[in-house]
Amino acid sequence: MAKVAITVNGSEPGNVFPPFILGSSAAASGDDVVIFFCPGGAPAMVKGEIEKWDVKGLPDLKELYDGVLSLGGKVYVCELALDAKDLKKEDFREGIEIIGATTFINEIKDATLTFSF
Amino acid sequence: MDQKTLDAMGLKCPQPILKVASMAPQMQPGDILEVTADCESFPKDVKAWAEKTGKTLLFCNTDAEGKHTAQIQF
Repeated sequence: MAKVAITVNGSEPGNVFPPFILGSSAAASGDDVVIFFCPGGAPAMVKGEIEKWDVKGLPDLKELYDGVLSLGGKVYVCELALDAKDLKKEDFREGIEIIGATTFINEIKDATLTFSF
Repeated sequence: MDQKTLDAMGLKCPQPILKVASMAPQMQPGDILEVTADCESFPKDVKAWAEKTGKTLLFCNTDAEGKHTAQIQF
């Protein structure tokens, strides 16, 4: 099985749907999935944010988010997002962990597939 | 051996496969899951999923309306 590492550095649907479409597909197939939101992508992981999105022709993003987590995937937000975006730990949705770049890099050192959006 | 059904009609890729994966823990070896879906990519996706996860895709048929019916043996 693969280990899939995905970084996200934008908070528009075009940045946020692909990580969860690919990530949930990978997690559903038994791959390890690690999604890391850089500060530019972090606002999308604020509670209630993706629930506002209804994009024609695309799947329900919340279901994909929940699917990634329930299948053992990890969703991280970079700690730099807290100051950079004036956000607090508690602002982020359930399931999110705040970590630093070093921890992320260490966690994905054996990743076999990487994507950036 | 048990047979379960999963209605994934109307769901977009990759939600049908996500539903299959979320049902997997309830399935015992030999059990069959019958899935119906109308997502365009479903026949190829379910084949790929079965290959990757070591399950047996018994069949995946498509009717004239584009409704796919697949049986997966766990």
